[in-house]
Amino acid sequence: MLKNPNWKSIGTVLGETFIDCFYFSLKNYKAKKGDIVTTDSKVPSSEGKIIPVTVWGKISTIESSNAFFPTEAAQELTNEDIDIRDTILPTTRDELICKVVILGYTKDEDKSSKLLPLIYPVRPAATVKYPSSEDVEALLISDLNSSHPIYIGSLLAREAVKIRIDADNLVSRHVSIFGMSGSGKTVMVRRIMHEMLCKNYPMLVLDIHGDYLGFIQKQKELYPENKIKLFYPNLSVSSEDKEIIYTLIDKLGKPLTDPQKDFLNSLLEKVKYEGGSLLKYVKLLNQRAREYASEGSTSFKNIRPASMYVVARSLGQVAKKLENMEQTNFRHRKKMSKLKFVELADPATEPEKIISKGQLSILYLKGYETLPASAIVSILLENLFKHRQEVNEEIPPFLTIIEEAHNFIPSRSENKDDLPSVETIRKVITEGRKFGTGIMIISQRPSRLDETIASQCNSQIIFRMVNQRDQKATRDRSETLDVDDSKQLPNLANGQGIISGQVVNFSLPVQIKFDEKLINEDIGNENFIDTVENWDDSEAVKERQKFAQDFSDISDMDNRSAN
Amino acid sequence: MSSEISIKDKIKRNSSMFVNFVKSAVTASPKVQNNFLDVSAKVAETVLKIIKDADLVVDLNYKGKEFWSQNRCKTACFVDGGVDKTSIISSAPLSIRAGSYVVKPDATSKREYFEESMVFLGDLYDPKNELYDFIDDDFEEDQMLNKKKDGARIIFEAATIVKHILLNKKFDYCFLHGPIEGTVMPFSVPGFPTFTKFAVENMFPFAINKKTDVAARHFINVYLEALNYIKKGKFPIYGIVETSNSAPYVKNLLYNYKSQGKISDKDYNNFIKIIKKYKITDSHLLEIILSSGQALKPLEIKKQIQGFTVTAGSSWEDMMESFPKVFIGYIKTTDNNSPIRIESLNNSKNLIKDYEYILGTSRLLPNYGFPVGLNVVDKFAKIPNWMSKASRKYYATHLLRQAVKNKDQNTISLAVKILSKKARSWRNRPIGGITK
Repeated sequence: MLKNPNWKSIGTVLGETFIDCFYFSLKNYKAKKGDIVTTDSKVPSSEGKIIPVTVWGKISTIESSNAFFPTEAAQELTNEDIDIRDTILPTTRDELICKVVILGYTKDEDKSSKLLPLIYPVRPAATVKYPSSEDVEALLISDLNSSHPIYIGSLLAREAVKIRIDADNLVSRHVSIFGMSGSGKTVMVRRIMHEMLCKNYPMLVLDIHGDYLGFIQKQKELYPENKIKLFYPNLSVSSEDKEIIYTLIDKLGKPLTDPQKDFLNSLLEKVKYEGGSLLKYVKLLNQRAREYASEGSTSFKNIRPASMYVVARSLGQVAKKLENMEQTNFRHRKKMSKLKFVELADPATEPEKIISKGQLSILYLKGYETLPASAIVSILLENLFKHRQEVNEEIPPFLTIIEEAHNFIPSRSENKDDLPSVETIRKVITEGRKFGTGIMIISQRPSRLDETIASQCNSQIIFRMVNQRDQKATRDRSETLDVDDSKQLPNLANGQGIISGQVVNFSLPVQIKFDEKLINEDIGNENFIDTVENWDDSEAVKERQKFAQDFSDISDMDNRSAN
Repeated sequence: MSSEISIKDKIKRNSSMFVNFVKSAVTASPKVQNNFLDVSAKVAETVLKIIKDADLVVDLNYKGKEFWSQNRCKTACFVDGGVDKTSIISSAPLSIRAGSYVVKPDATSKREYFEESMVFLGDLYDPKNELYDFIDDDFEEDQMLNKKKDGARIIFEAATIVKHILLNKKFDYCFLHGPIEGTVMPFSVPGFPTFTKFAVENMFPFAINKKTDVAARHFINVYLEALNYIKKGKFPIYGIVETSNSAPYVKNLLYNYKSQGKISDKDYNNFIKIIKKYKITDSHLLEIILSSGQALKPLEIKKQIQGFTVTAGSSWEDMMESFPKVFIGYIKTTDNNSPIRIESLNNSKNLIKDYEYILGTSRLLPNYGFPVGLNVVDKFAKIPNWMSKASRKYYATHLLRQAVKNKDQNTISLAVKILSKKARSWRNRPIGGITK
């Protein structure tokens, strides 16, 4: 029984009450928006008895008004620059009216603190009480009924109340984390990852910015029992799947005409490749295409060498861009020389190198453009999902964390839904619950996400969001987000979010615990002004500058006119 | 001529006089309609001439910030009463209260407080006399009910001020929302009930040792007692009225001029007839005559007058002379509103300062132009509908229970009548014509 005689009285229920909410008059400064409050009530039981219960609710809005302060008085105070405290106007008659969204009731006679849905309105004029932090915490955890709760932070309105979410639903029912840049999404993900690592749950993170590299740096200190692997992408292609070549040419190369496409088709059939590096394959195709063109090969009906050259040039462009991306990624990796990057294992043949018990795998995608990154993710997830589908499971259940998800699962309105990752993730998220392949999607632009995929996430963690379209998209795709809570989205501070869905029993405003030790030290902060102040040109730049003037003088002399 | 044009323009410029005329134009004769503007302009011009002759206009000083920094040390008390709005056949009112809002801006602690100075729930009037003698005619019953409510409110407000005096409160000012002395004539009708002994003793403890027989507990006697006590108060006490529906100031001014021989009896009588015919009140005239920030010095006016049809011949007629005279003045607080009426039982020695204080508190409501403290206490004292309904329901149920318990058929009938009595509603009116 969750009932404590020491709970402080903070207000009185107003005249009209409902099954789902009630209003009460609040004592000054005794509660805040988001606070959990209680009131004693009675409900009829199924046996026809009247039983005493404690009704629990969450303050969703607080309105303050001073009916004794006329609006037109403000006009005079402003115009005449009068201090209200010099006048006879009342300054102490603020009335605070709170709206409480009812969460449910607990029976006073029961030991369990399981919340039951309220079936009878609370009593008008009843006293509203402020339960102790321990009791609120006990209610939340008990009501969550989770065998694996994980700690993520505290109730926004009350720091002492620790909030835990249900890890079982988190890994199986999919979660979306939305919020504008710098609002606290990554802090939240790091928190979850930390807790899941402690539970040895395998995770795969698709990391574009290197936000999660801190886990590697702190592995020995914090996660000595876990394996944390840092992969860089290896764009591979299987002998059967050559569709990717068409997409790559379409997105990265020069668009082809029908005869040119015919030539590419024939080329793909003629050039044998047993599977492996995509870049090597593209280079091979480019070389063969040039050869056929220079020979003026007649083995391709009705195709002129000029068309073959176009295909070769397009394949060359693709190869160059892929090479550039690999190089960019390599340069970024080089900056973090202390970290050990390994090439991504083949998910088709060696999935256990990517997913295994207690392992965190981070795929560092920095430098890759959308399409290649999407292709990498698609191939990777497709293969891992296949392994989970097989009767003879080779890898355990795992959670995939997709950062900057709008790059991989863009909305149809973005005209990018032909990205290979869209179809793959749609399949994984729809069927994943059965196979233990949960997905966590993270984005600062929820309105740009694929609608089907976003609405498959049964839980949401929403941070500060100012963009109206994103707010609407978030509301539309969540069945459990409290309307009053959603109004708060633009005003949330860093690290403050609203959790709703199956990981919690009801929508909760939360202050996420900040794990300072998990920050990637190599990325550092975003204080670029300090960086410039302490800037010193690299040795190479200094060397170039040393001779630059000499070369410039030579050039000037050369360009002098005759007279 | 120029002043005439100006006054005519003022009248036409949506003055309350013009608005009132337009409202009553339906009933006014064509001649009155035709002459309205000329007559009312001339009346205003004449009154202005007399006011100037009597040197009654004073210019008040108000500079917002400066005024309040000088007056922040003053303690002001604002009083108003509230009666429930529910109609129930009984002695009524069921619930009534008078509230006070006391404020001293520069006080270091307890800068302001509200108090329910007088609260009453139940029968204020004595049930042993005419209280439960129901009048068969509903209209007459409603009339009496309203009088009872008004009487109760007036007594409660007076009692609140008496209480402050008795408790020796250190106020610099005390303001009542409404006249400082109401007209008692409506309560002199035969059958008007007396207050209970308990009520009188609680409202006016100084009357405990006096005889509290039935006659002494009648409204008129109790009220007179209260007014005499208020007159002796040590702080300035003013009643403030938003609009005047009659012309006591102008009538008395002209009466004084007539008494001094400055106006002939004939002119006086004609003037009185004219202002009655054209429904011209103090508010209408002074709104045009005074400018914002101007006031009229008070005139001493007798409020209770013998010889009215209601009091004439009644046993209360002689009492009328005993009531104190009232000092009535006006302040025009804003450009857009009628001047407010200021009433006091004493002629203040610091009249200008007092009026300036009233003007200052009114300027905090720059559109409404009424002392903001009275607006505040009005909201505080008002009995909301939900409270009225609740008290009516409680009272009626209690009465019926008692009736059934007593098994007295008459009491049961009475309770049923009370429970079934409902306010008239337009929705329940019979429909005319052919009904489907």
